[in-house]
Amino acid sequence: MTAAWLALALAAAVTEPTGACGLCHPDVRVEHETSVHAREGIGCHDCHGGDPGATSTAAAHRGDFRGVPSRLDLPAACASCHSDLERMRPYNLPADQYALYRTSGHGVRLARGDDRVAVCTDCHGTHAIRRRDDPQSSVFPRNIPATCGRCHGAGASGESLEGEANPFAAYVGGVHGQAFLEDNNSSAPHCGSCHGAHGAAPPGVGDVDKVCGQCHSPARTYFLQSPHAAAMQTAGAPECASCHDHHGIRAATESMLESVCTRCHEAGSPQSEVASAMRTLFRGAEDEIDAARTLVDRAAAIPLYVEDYKARLEEARTSLVQSFPVMHALKVDGVEELTRRARSIAAEVESEVNGKLLERRWRRVGLLLFWFYLILTMVILVRYRRRALSEATR
Amino acid sequence: MVSRGEGGKRRSLSAWLEERFNLTEMFSFAASFGLFPAELDTSRPFNEALQEAIRRPLPSYGRWPRVLGILSLLVFAFLAATGVLLAFYYQPTTEEAYRSVTTIVRDVNFGWFLHQAHRWSARLLLVILLVRLWRFFFQGMYKAPREALWIVALLTFLVATHADLTGRLLTWNADGYWATVRALEVLYSLPLVGPMFSFLIGGPRIDSLVMTRFYVLHLAAIPFIMTGLFYLHFSGVRRVGLSAVARETRPVGGALKVHIYNLLILTALLFGALVTLVTLLPVPFIDPADPFATPVGARPPWYLLAAYGLLEIFPSAWPRFLPGLVIEATLAVAFLLPFLDRSPGREMRQRRLAIAIGAAVLVAWACFTWYGFQLEVGG
Repeated sequence: MTAAWLALALAAAVTEPTGACGLCHPDVRVEHETSVHAREGIGCHDCHGGDPGATSTAAAHRGDFRGVPSRLDLPAACASCHSDLERMRPYNLPADQYALYRTSGHGVRLARGDDRVAVCTDCHGTHAIRRRDDPQSSVFPRNIPATCGRCHGAGASGESLEGEANPFAAYVGGVHGQAFLEDNNSSAPHCGSCHGAHGAAPPGVGDVDKVCGQCHSPARTYFLQSPHAAAMQTAGAPECASCHDHHGIRAATESMLESVCTRCHEAGSPQSEVASAMRTLFRGAEDEIDAARTLVDRAAAIPLYVEDYKARLEEARTSLVQSFPVMHALKVDGVEELTRRARSIAAEVESEVNGKLLERRWRRVGLLLFWFYLILTMVILVRYRRRALSEATR
Repeated sequence: MVSRGEGGKRRSLSAWLEERFNLTEMFSFAASFGLFPAELDTSRPFNEALQEAIRRPLPSYGRWPRVLGILSLLVFAFLAATGVLLAFYYQPTTEEAYRSVTTIVRDVNFGWFLHQAHRWSARLLLVILLVRLWRFFFQGMYKAPREALWIVALLTFLVATHADLTGRLLTWNADGYWATVRALEVLYSLPLVGPMFSFLIGGPRIDSLVMTRFYVLHLAAIPFIMTGLFYLHFSGVRRVGLSAVARETRPVGGALKVHIYNLLILTALLFGALVTLVTLLPVPFIDPADPFATPVGARPPWYLLAAYGLLEIFPSAWPRFLPGLVIEATLAVAFLLPFLDRSPGREMRQRRLAIAIGAAVLVAWACFTWYGFQLEVGG
């Protein structure tokens, strides 16, 4: 009777992609069932070889059985399917991951026989591999920083990069990490946006501006016009990162013109004069905009019509923000033009709102006039009342 | 029709009218709203009745401290007048309310004045009614035969707070909206009364239907009730007389004139005060209500802060109805005060216990108000 049940269970088991392997490896079978491979009918023997229909360990682990693939062989094993254009076509998946991987920092070192680098399973998982658009997947965009951080974070075995002990923590604290992870801004960059995914490698000197310039193209254009472009190339300093840092990128504010420039240029030097000139221009315009905005808010609370003024202040703000990329060219003229524009709009708004507020001050003059007549009325009323009172007591 | 008269137009007109209407009764009713502090014999012709009435002692309540009643009526009249004018432009829907109030304040000629004057009058009305209530208490005004006047005064204050509460929501700005949300939280947590309120208003969600209900209450129901309460108050005063009449028997005869002048001076002063407040201390106009963003300092209106503080100070392990029961018991005692304290003496030193309890309640009220206010400071 027991044997009959076992036979029935076996018959049911072998029809699954995992075959009979799950009888001895139930935990792996359960894990595998959640994977995209299970859904597409890719079973154990497709990676591990052997005979999934066999009912004894010896029979199952026979033939082309490979067991656990070594880390060194793993990328090639995955590539046996994932580099096959014909097989990938129905899923509309690229088939160049293996080729890219071999050019990556990970792949280059693996080829040298160093297996202390990321292979496919380190990022994608082993049996429970999920689709990239599955939020539970380790390579779902929002999870990518944490996945890379497993090696390139605190206490991990991943080596420090460019003297940065913990690139993951630096990224999380920087503006990109804040925007991507805190503000849920999906257009902010994660690790792969700058380093590439399968071909992950740090951009070298001369390439940094190209990588950053994918998003910050105006800044790059102006940077290339500046003396910094050639000088950094010669000095071997990474272009954007020399001032803005690698992973822990701070918010680009005008205060950087104080703190960052002095790293290389002495105070009082012509270069730092340029920086302080640009900073003064920026702050002057910003103060003017802030003052105008305070005034507009005051008028809005009355309320007066301020929608137009708000729009014009946005315009001023845009000019001011546009001066940031222009600063990379280190030309005071360009910055001056934009900040002057911002300033003049703000000053215009300020004077117009002031005019409107002044109009309202006339209400106070009206109040004085009102009280004059009111007191006159009261004097008359009090006199009449006094007369009535004396009549009453007489 | 009046040209046939022989003894001058005025005389014949009044005679002609006297034959067709009971002028004395009409005047008596109109004068019930604070114009005339004595009763008239409505079975006699108007002139006769008036002459007879003003020969009796006629102290004016147009002067401190009895001025608070007529002052609250004047403020109420001012509120009614500005309210009617505001209603010409106001649209009571959640979509349009804020925009229409903006139109009133920004675009309508003197709309800003109406809006601000309405808000300032509402504040003044509540303060005057509350001060009047405590004056009634401390000067023993609830004692026989003025028990009903005390109950009416208490009711007037409670109804006025409802007028204030419903009005706050109508502008559909952030402050008013969240004050209403918090106020309803407080009211709903009262046992018995809470579910009743909830049933009448339609639950905790503030939507366009609640807005409509508040609009109707604010424009029709509450002003009607307030008018009735003012009528009850002043006709009651005429029947039982002003307090401490004995010491002021002096003005007789033409004292009605003095009273009318007192009222006119009072009206002018009140109008002057309101215009000054509106011009120099306008209430800031703030952002529209956003049900998804609670601003910092979202708290119930000041008159509910004490109840709010009391609800919050009770340990959460205790039953929720306990603080509500305390609030309701306090109100019930206030209503029954004339029947609980039956000693005849009205002087402070004759009623040490009542004064002590009243002062304790006042201090506790102030403390809980402060506590309730503190709860929402800095979010």
